[in-house]
Amino acid sequence: MDFRKIATIAAMLLLLAPQVGMASSGGAPLPKADWTFKGVFGRFDPAALKRGAQVANEVCLGCHAIKYIKYDHLRSIGLTEAEVKAFAEAQGKNKKDRMLSAMSDADAKESFGVVPPDLSLMTKARKGYENYTYGILTGYLTEAETEMIDNATSDDALSDEEIKQIAAKLHLDAHNPDYVREVVRRIGAGDNFNRYFPGNFFAMPQPLTADAVEYADGTKTTLEQHSNDVVTFLAWAAEPSLEARKSLGIKVILYLILLTVMLFAVKRRVWAKLH
Amino acid sequence: MSKSLMEWVDERIPVSDLIKSQATEYPTPKNLNYWWNFGSLALTVLIIMILTGLFLAMHYKPDAALAFDSVEHIMRDVNYGWLLRYLHANGATFFFIVIYIHILRGMYYGSYRAPREILWWLGIVIFFLMMGTAFMGYVLPWGQMSYWGAAVITNLMSAIPLVGPDLVTWIWGGFAVGDPTLNRFFVLHFLLPFVLFGAVFVHLWALHAVHSNNPVGIDVPHKDTIPFHPYYTIKDVYGVGVLLIVYLSFVFYAPNFFLEPDNYIPANPMQTPAHIVPEWYFLPFYAILRSIDFLGSFSKLAGVLAMGGSIAIWFLLPFLDRSPVRSFRYRPLSRRLFWIFFIDTLILGWVGYNPADATVLDGALPMITIGRTATFIYFGYFVLLWAITAFGIEKPNEVPKSI
Ligand code: HEC
Ligand code: HEM
Repeated sequence: MDFRKIATIAAMLLLLAPQVGMASSGGAPLPKADWTFKGVFGRFDPAALKRGAQVANEVCLGCHAIKYIKYDHLRSIGLTEAEVKAFAEAQGKNKKDRMLSAMSDADAKESFGVVPPDLSLMTKARKGYENYTYGILTGYLTEAETEMIDNATSDDALSDEEIKQIAAKLHLDAHNPDYVREVVRRIGAGDNFNRYFPGNFFAMPQPLTADAVEYADGTKTTLEQHSNDVVTFLAWAAEPSLEARKSLGIKVILYLILLTVMLFAVKRRVWAKLH
Repeated sequence: MSKSLMEWVDERIPVSDLIKSQATEYPTPKNLNYWWNFGSLALTVLIIMILTGLFLAMHYKPDAALAFDSVEHIMRDVNYGWLLRYLHANGATFFFIVIYIHILRGMYYGSYRAPREILWWLGIVIFFLMMGTAFMGYVLPWGQMSYWGAAVITNLMSAIPLVGPDLVTWIWGGFAVGDPTLNRFFVLHFLLPFVLFGAVFVHLWALHAVHSNNPVGIDVPHKDTIPFHPYYTIKDVYGVGVLLIVYLSFVFYAPNFFLEPDNYIPANPMQTPAHIVPEWYFLPFYAILRSIDFLGSFSKLAGVLAMGGSIAIWFLLPFLDRSPVRSFRYRPLSRRLFWIFFIDTLILGWVGYNPADATVLDGALPMITIGRTATFIYFGYFVLLWAITAFGIEKPNEVPKSI
């Protein structure tokens, strides 16, 4: 067979194969949100960034730090001097301070058993990236689901039908009824269930609900909107140079393509003399 | 004026002669295909690695308490620091892509055979240095994968009889991977690329003594050569353009594609990640290591030996291959074996990426079985290549008399 043909086929296999093997790593398949900052021309939505900064400041900082960001940095996403000052003061800080949590590590350990991880790099530090963080924020039980589980457990044992129904709703493995029962028992015991967390239970109680924060720009305050905004903000916090990188990239790549086409033409010309 | 100045220099040190005989007029076979571009591409990437590394080192702090933060400092505060780091991190990946193609080229066209044995061996030495350098570089950002990768790999040394455990403690500079380990890995990571550069120089020296092989694999008389300049200078520079387009597309548009998310979590000795994976370029060898698990207490040592041996065996290729013909283009059986070997290494890489206890086909086929079979085939390549050529089993096709 032809060297090149095989090389291409094999290289493609190499790129596709890992996903095949990794398909089974726990947690439901992540929701795929439409991020404005993906793709070659992707940019952060400035309004979403600003709202997200507010959610992060008012909600997440209650437990988490975003330590690589100082309040002052928020000016580069469009906050005014006065807004920065107000954000910092709301947390008892000034604009030169880092976005640290109000909660001490010791208190966090006592309340949750773990210190909540710093969120500065969160969207880069989990498989699934932004979609994972978005999934975590939106993956808790809805009211309807809580009610369904309450109803199912009001009589003694879970019927097969109920197990199927719960498994489908919560993205659990219906072929493993014992696991579904265990999940239901732990939910009843008050543990934090999340359909996207690998292992389903962890120490973070649902941090965000609809109307958690009041937006100045009048945007609706659904859970999805809040989550979308705060994840956009966290994606910026993880990679503040994203826009600079993408806009420099276009210039560099276009330049290189032009240069390489010319080099190819010269190469053909030089080699033509040989024949 | 400049001409007489050059004459003045040449009388004292013959620079012009050297450039003429070794670069501009250096005779090169006229039939080299694009697979011969990958040597100059490797050199290009090496230079990029040394330059970006040098500037990273000006801002990086090799201290367990500071390393992770210093990399983020580079990413956020240093002017174009994000560019330096992404160039460097993705540069390692492209270095290995280029080198693997370069090595496979050598295997396919029989470039390891007389009179190029020493050239080939130097290449393997360079590859070992590269692996050491990349391994230690990956430890420097001090994320979870840095830490646990270092722990798993250095721990392998403990399998060495008698001195193993003491050796590991000595390498660590303590009883676990820690600050002293990071500090010395930084020093070595800074040093080794320059050693590597020296090895590349000797590699090229050997090349210029025996000259390039070519796709036909026969010795080329002078009349069938062309001067390196302008023919191969322009061809190589064109190749660099293509490489840069691909490489920089990753740097600018998917800079984290080859990096593990876990490495954005600071190293934590108290918390083992669910699934420790080495960098992609080590995966085939890692799979070979793990597939030797059926020898009881001897497994670990055997695994380490198999892993080291899987590369060291390349040293033997000049002796194993007894065919009267160099290039696999005229060797139908060898060619088939080669492609099986190539696909087998990809499978090994895939096995290495998956958890050791994974299965495929709904549990019917354990990953470890695939790994063992692929390891067997990997070594089988070298045995069979020897067998079909030593016993005249392969009947080569007719080789052209000239290129
Ligand atoms: C009431 C305290 C609290 C609040 C408020 C809070 N978190 Fe958490 N969060 C935690 C704790 C505790 C953990 C650690 C969970 C664990 O590891 O078991 C955590 C973990 C996480 C994780 C990591 C999950 C993983 O994969 O390890 C993410 C992502 C996260 N929080 C996002 C957020 C965001 C975004 C906000 C703001 C909208 C927020 N949290 C608000 C307590 C909180
Ligand atoms: C053979 C060439 C080289 C290879 C293959 C190599 C490989 C690597 C790798 C894989 C990393 C980890 C990247 C990451 O995940 O962030 C790294 C980091 C690093 N390297 Fe190199 N490197 C090379 C040359 C050099 C040189 C010559 C220097 C210094 C003079 C250097 C300095 C650094 C520094 C300071 C870091 C830590 C910063 C970071 O993680 O980005 N490297 N290297």
